[in-house]
Parts: sequence; structure tokens; C-alpha cells
Amino acid sequence: MKRNLLTVIIGAVLVVIFALLLFTFQVRRSEDVVVLTFLKPTRNLDQPGLYFKWPWPIQQVYRYDQRIQNFEDRFSENYTADSVTLLTSVYVGWKISDASLFLPKFPGDPSVSVPSAQSKLEGMLRTAKMAVIGKYVLSDFVNADPKALKFDEIEQKIEQYVQAELQTNHYGIQLEFLGFKKIGLPENVTQTVFDRMKSERQKLIAFWQSTGDSEAMKIKSAADSEAAKTIADANATAIRIRAEGEAEAAKTLPILQQNPELANFLLRIDAWKQSLNQRTTLIFDERYPPFDLFSHLPTNSASSNP
Amino acid sequence: MEHNVQKNGLVNLVAAVGIFIAAFVVTSYVNSLAGQAGSIFLGLGTLVAFAGWFQMRLEENERLEKLEVEELARAKGESTLFETKDAEVFPAQRAREQFEKFFVPGFSVLLLLLEGGGAYLLWRWISKTTSGIAPDRAMPALALFGIFALLLFLVGRFSVTIARLEDRRLLRSGAGFLLAGAYVCFFIALGIAGVEAGFPRVDFWFARALCVLLGLMAAEMIVTLLLEIYRPRVPGKVARPLYESRLVGLLAQPEGLFTTAAQTLDYQFGFKVSETWFFQLLKENVLLLLLAQFAVLVLSTCVVFVDAGEQAVLEHFGRPVATLEAGAHFKLPWPMDKIYRYRTEQIQTFVVGYTSDAQSEMMSTILWSVGHGKEDNFLVGNRAADTVQNDNPDTNGAPKAPPVSLISVSIPVQFQITNVFDWSYQNGDPTNLLQDLATRAVVHYLAGVDLNDVLSSNRLEAAQILCDQIQTAANERRLGAKIIFVGLQDIHPPTKVAEDYEKVVGAFQQMIAKTNTAAAAAISTNLMAGAMAFTTNRVAEATRLQLETSAFARAALFTNQIPAFEAAPSVYEQRTYFQTFADATANARKYILLVTNTQDVLIFDLEDKIREDLLNLNVPSSPNNQSP
Repeated sequence: MKRNLLTVIIGAVLVVIFALLLFTFQVRRSEDVVVLTFLKPTRNLDQPGLYFKWPWPIQQVYRYDQRIQNFEDRFSENYTADSVTLLTSVYVGWKISDASLFLPKFPGDPSVSVPSAQSKLEGMLRTAKMAVIGKYVLSDFVNADPKALKFDEIEQKIEQYVQAELQTNHYGIQLEFLGFKKIGLPENVTQTVFDRMKSERQKLIAFWQSTGDSEAMKIKSAADSEAAKTIADANATAIRIRAEGEAEAAKTLPILQQNPELANFLLRIDAWKQSLNQRTTLIFDERYPPFDLFSHLPTNSASSNP
Repeated sequence: MEHNVQKNGLVNLVAAVGIFIAAFVVTSYVNSLAGQAGSIFLGLGTLVAFAGWFQMRLEENERLEKLEVEELARAKGESTLFETKDAEVFPAQRAREQFEKFFVPGFSVLLLLLEGGGAYLLWRWISKTTSGIAPDRAMPALALFGIFALLLFLVGRFSVTIARLEDRRLLRSGAGFLLAGAYVCFFIALGIAGVEAGFPRVDFWFARALCVLLGLMAAEMIVTLLLEIYRPRVPGKVARPLYESRLVGLLAQPEGLFTTAAQTLDYQFGFKVSETWFFQLLKENVLLLLLAQFAVLVLSTCVVFVDAGEQAVLEHFGRPVATLEAGAHFKLPWPMDKIYRYRTEQIQTFVVGYTSDAQSEMMSTILWSVGHGKEDNFLVGNRAADTVQNDNPDTNGAPKAPPVSLISVSIPVQFQITNVFDWSYQNGDPTNLLQDLATRAVVHYLAGVDLNDVLSSNRLEAAQILCDQIQTAANERRLGAKIIFVGLQDIHPPTKVAEDYEKVVGAFQQMIAKTNTAAAAAISTNLMAGAMAFTTNRVAEATRLQLETSAFARAALFTNQIPAFEAAPSVYEQRTYFQTFADATANARKYILLVTNTQDVLIFDLEDKIREDLLNLNVPSSPNNQSP
């Protein structure tokens, strides 16, 4: 009996738990809930709390995230006003502003309908991007002068375009924000940019190489010029100094003039002495003094005669 | 009574089929892995229930046939006609025998293949699949699996009791599957609840556990089939159905474990352990204990421990009511109160423009010209290219490069969550949104600066500007995050042109080297010229001094020589001549020709002596000079 009572209690507890799970549901603060009775939307709940419902399949609960959802569209190609193909990708923040409007437009379970809505939103975005980007030139997107950029303006126009589309057709979706996430160029254009960047570098390489050569040449020429000037100055100074010496030496000539004969003799003797060196070969005959002594030497015959 | 048992079998079959189909539909609806495995288990139970019911019908037909034959025999007296065992006379018996002989082993092999194959394929599929339970479908599925468990439990429990009381072996197999199916459904519901409670892998592990169960059932079937070959066939002894699983029976009636455990303990300890008060208490109150365990499980969800560095948002029926700081907290049990944890103190990081890979992480040196990780190229302004384009607007229709450049950047952004309410309730994916905002700020900034500026002087300034811009954007979007650091750790030209940038640096260094070399040569030239000038001047000075000194000395000498000369002019001349001659010719070679001495012939060889080795050269004779 006791055992049966326990089984009944356990069964009752389980039944209560399962009944609560079937007949109640919670709404989080971040959720917007639509209750469908036999697939017809009958209640829209956006306040958090505990609510009652009939079990499936009588009533179904569709939960939509009230928070801002963000996604990034595909990196797609657009033509600018100055005929440049530009790849752009934007990130978008959107949310379901009115679930009762959203549900008929995107019926079915939220796990299917929300991605479907996002897909449609992406289509609108692509159209808006194409329309807006085509009115601007490349320098509005990329410019070394930040004041010339029209980044914010372009983003606002795309946002306005999509927002207007959403409001006109009552999608129950609100676009919260939009911004460029990527800007790029097609691959073949990117290659031409790379080539141009390389050519700029080649120009710089040539500039520095030529600058090096020219600077080196200038430095060397200046040095050679400076050296030549220095040596020329030195030579001139040397000549002047020698001339001064000569002038000073010339002052002694009147002394030599006191006996010109002796002076000439001594000068000749000096000249003769200075003209001789070790490799000089002298050939004399016996008449030349002091070798004339050889001619006065007694011969063998003379010495043998008494 | 017999009729009722067959009805029980039919009820079991209907319940098994109905709940198998319903469970399969709900599993597909909620996308539960454990549900998939459980559906296979319930499907096998359906087959077993069908086989048991069919065999019951055959045995019932046989029993009726026997009664009919006995009735006829009593009515017509003894006759050889009713003593025969011919199959034509007992078709129902013959059909039952054929069924047990051929169908039951074949059906058991089929079960083995389904159990083994199911376990293997399901294991592989579970390992590969990435899908999880749909959050908004969890609650209905949880409730439905609870109902399935309850229905199967009631039907299974009733059938098991009937089978045990009346010893109906054919009812036992299907009933065991139904009761075990009830527990499987309960576990599936528990797995879904675990996922809903914030433990996403519970469903996965329960699915794995069910795969193991299927594998064990297959192994048990192999053993049963092998043992069946060697089983002694005792006449009159009713065979146990091959498709009946003892393992499933044990799962269905775990209280049977107590009997087995008691026998083991009694044998091991040598006295009746099973008769002790503790063992009896345990046996009597097993359900109460399970209920207590469930209560403890529920109560355990009333206590929350928030880790250091974490904050948790407490929701009461979906309404945020408090932020819990680190420490222990009490709350109402799940699912009334739920908490969501966030690491608010932790510094979180993401990188804009760069995705790391394993190979780049291994690199010890990071070079511009060698790709490291996946780098995005950003468009950046180029003042020089812009000027060139403006100067040359028409290039005869040739494809021209837009006046922009490309740059690779790697910008780490570090942030902290400062407001968990904003972080969790304003945006669906705040981390991703923050990355989008940061990337947009980088794209916007780079689009408005000159390539050379950002590569050189404006880096620090750029980091601060980006930090401010990202923070402003995050505040506008009410992210509840604080940007702590933005760094331009890697900013360089794309890999394809990086080598040319390095060559420019090389050319610049070459330029410096050339000018330095020239400067060195200039220094040498100038210094040598200075030295030469100095030498020239010094030589000139010396010459001057020599001229002056020697002139004055000579004048002084001359003044003194005049008296001597005047005293004896010829002698003085001779003396001076001979002194000078002796001094001057001391080292000169001298040849004296004594022409008056005619009888003597003196030969002077005034030629320079030829080297001896040149004189000893062997000159080969010309062939023309050879005599015949």
C-alpha cells in the first residue's frame, strides 16, 4: 500500500511537471513572442514573464529575438561614377520592430523565417549599394585628404534607401545601423595597383641610387679641387720662399766681387766637385796634374845606366 | 485469461508503434541527437513486440487446434486418424514449429544487424554532426518525451507484471522493451533539459551512451546466438525466445539487480547480507531514494556560484532582476530562475585585418615580404598617385590603376564588458558587432590618410584615433564595453609589393654608403694634399735657409780666402785644386793613359760587364746551318 502510494506520488509529481512544461512558457526580456492558436497569431507578448498556453498542437509559441541582429553582406562589386569597379561589404544592425507585422511577411518557425528575412534584407542592401555607390567617385571613398571623404554620407544614403523600402512594405523590420566593413578592388585591378606601387618604389630606388652616385661624384670632385688648390697654393708659397732665399743669398754677391778671379775659380771648383759622383769614370793622361807625376818617373833603362 | 494476454501483446505493439513514430517526429522537430538514438531503440522494441505478439498468436492457434482435436477424439472415440502426428492434421502446430525453427533465428540475426549497424552508423553520424537542439523547441519536446516516458512506463510496467505473474515469456520481451523505452525517453528529456539549462553537450553524451547500449545489445545477441547452438534440447522444456534481451530486461527491471546483488553478497560474506535491515531498507525505498535524488538535483539549481572576474544576470521567469557578483547566491530552482554568466573582468581580444594560422604562429621572425597568417588588404589614400593621375588625366583608354594604394594591417583590440545588461540585452551578438565597428573604424581611417603618412609618422596618432572612434561607436550602440587598447602592431605594404619597399630602403642605404665612401676619399685627398702642401712649403723653407746660410757662409769663407789667395795665387789655386780633386774623385774610377810609355800596352775594357748567365746560354743551331 505504502509502495503504491509512493508510486502515485512520483507519478503525480511527474505529471505536474510535464503539465507545467506543456501549459506554460516564459518570455525573456530579449524576446518578442507570438502565440499562434491553430496557426493563427492570437497574442503578441513583448514583456518578460510567465504565461499560459494550450499545449501543442493547439497553440504554438514563436520566439523572436528583440535585440539588434547584425550581419555582414557579401563582398560585392559596384561601379562608381568615375568608372571604377569597387568591391564593398557592409555590416547591418536590424531588429524585428513589430512581430505581428513580421510574422505574416515571413511565416513559419523563427529558425527559418528570421534567416529568410535576413536574406531579403541582404537583397535590398545590394540594390541600395548599387544605386548609391554609382553616384559617387572613388575619391569619395578613398582620399588622402580626410575632409574630402564622403564615407558617412554614403552610408547614410544606403541606410535611408533600405529603411524607406522596409517602411513602405511594412516588413516589421527596423534598420538600426549600417557601415562599411570592407572596401576593396577586383583582383585584376588590385594587380594594377600593385604594379603602380612597385613602379613608385622603383622610381624611389632609382632616385636614391642616382643620388648616391651624384653625391659621391660631387664629394670627390670637391675634394680633388680642394686638393689641387691646396697643392697649387703650396707650390706658389714654396716658389716665393725660394725666391726669398735667393734674394737673401744674392746679398752676399758683392763680397765675391772683391776678388772676381778667386770667386770664379772657387765657383768652378764647386761646380766640378758637384758634377762628380761614384759612377763617374775619369780618364787622364800623364800630362794632367797630378798624374803628370807619372811622366817624370825614372824608367827601368835609365835606372840601370850608371 | 489467454485471450487477455494476447490482447496485452497487441496493446504493447500498438503502443510501441505509436510512440516510436511520435518520438521520431518529435526528434526531427527538436533535432536531438539522443532522440535519434532513442528512436532506433524504440524501433527495435516495436519489432520485438511484433515478433512476440505474432508468436503468441501462433501458440494460441496451436492451443485451439489441440482443443479442437481432443474434442473430436472424444466425440468419435479412439481412432488412428487422431493419433497421427501428421502436419496436415496439425497445421497450427506445424506453423509454430516452422516459425520457431526458421523465423526466430532469422529475426534474431536481423535484430543483431540492426543493433550493431545502428550503433556503428549512429556513432559515426553523431561524431560528425554539428547541429544542436533548437532552443525554442526544447520545452515542447521536453514535455512530449516526458509524456512518452510516462505512457511507456505505465503500459510496460503493467505488461511486465502480467508476464511475471502468469509467467508469459512471449509477453515479457516486448514489455521489457517498452519499460526500457520509458527510461530511454526519460533520459532523452533529461538531455534536452540539460541543454536548456546551459549544458549543450549533455544531449551529445546521452546519444553516445545510447549508442553504447545498442552495441552491448548487439554483443549480447551474438553471445545468445552462439549459446543457442550448444543449448541442450530437453523435450518438454519451453525455450526462451532468442530475440528476448536479458540486458533490456535488466534495464526495464533494475530491481532485479537487488536479487542478483543479494545472492552475490550472501555468497561472498558467508551470511545472509540480503536479510540485514540496511539492505531491506534500500530495497524497499529505492523509489523514494530516486525521488530524493531528483529533489536534490532540483535543489542544487537553487545555489549559484559566480566565479571571480564574472558577473551573472539573474532572470526570474525571463525578467532580469539582479546582477550577481562573484560568490555564492541563492535563487529559485530552474526553470523559474535562470542565470547567464559573463566574464566582465577578463580582457578580451580580437584582431582586425589578420587571421592567425598555425604556420604563422611557428614563425620566429615576421617579415613584410613573407605572408604570415591571412592578411586583409585595406584601401588607403595615395597623394603621389593622385597627383600623377591629375597631371595625366587621359592615358589613351589603357587600363589605369586607381589613385589608391593597398596596405595590410594587424590591429589588436582589447576590451572589457562594463555593463552586463547592455552587453546581453541590446545586441544579439555583441562580440561580433564590436568587431564590425572596429573594422569599420579602421577602414574609414585608412581611407582618409596617405599611405606614407600612416606607414611612418602617424602610427601612434592613428592608434589613439582608432581607440576613440571604436569607443564612440560602441557607446552609440550601447554595447556596455570599454575599449582598453588598440595597437597598430603590424602595418605594412601588401606582401606582393613589400620586397620593393625593402629595396627602397636598400637603395637609400646604398646612397649613404656611396656618399660615405666618397667623403672618405675626399678626406684622404684633402689631407694628402695638405700634407703635400706642407712638405712643399717645408722643403722651400729649407732651401731658402740653405741658400741664405750657404751664401753667408760662402761669403764669410771667401772673405777669409782672399788674403790667402792674394798671398800666393798660384799655390793657393793648386792647393785648392788638388784638395778638391782628391775629395771629389775619391770614389770615382780613374784611368790614366801613359802615352809616352810606348813599350807598354794598356787595354781598358770600358764596357759594362755582361751577366755570366747570359753568356752561358745554349742557342740551338739552325737547321739551315747543318751540314749534310
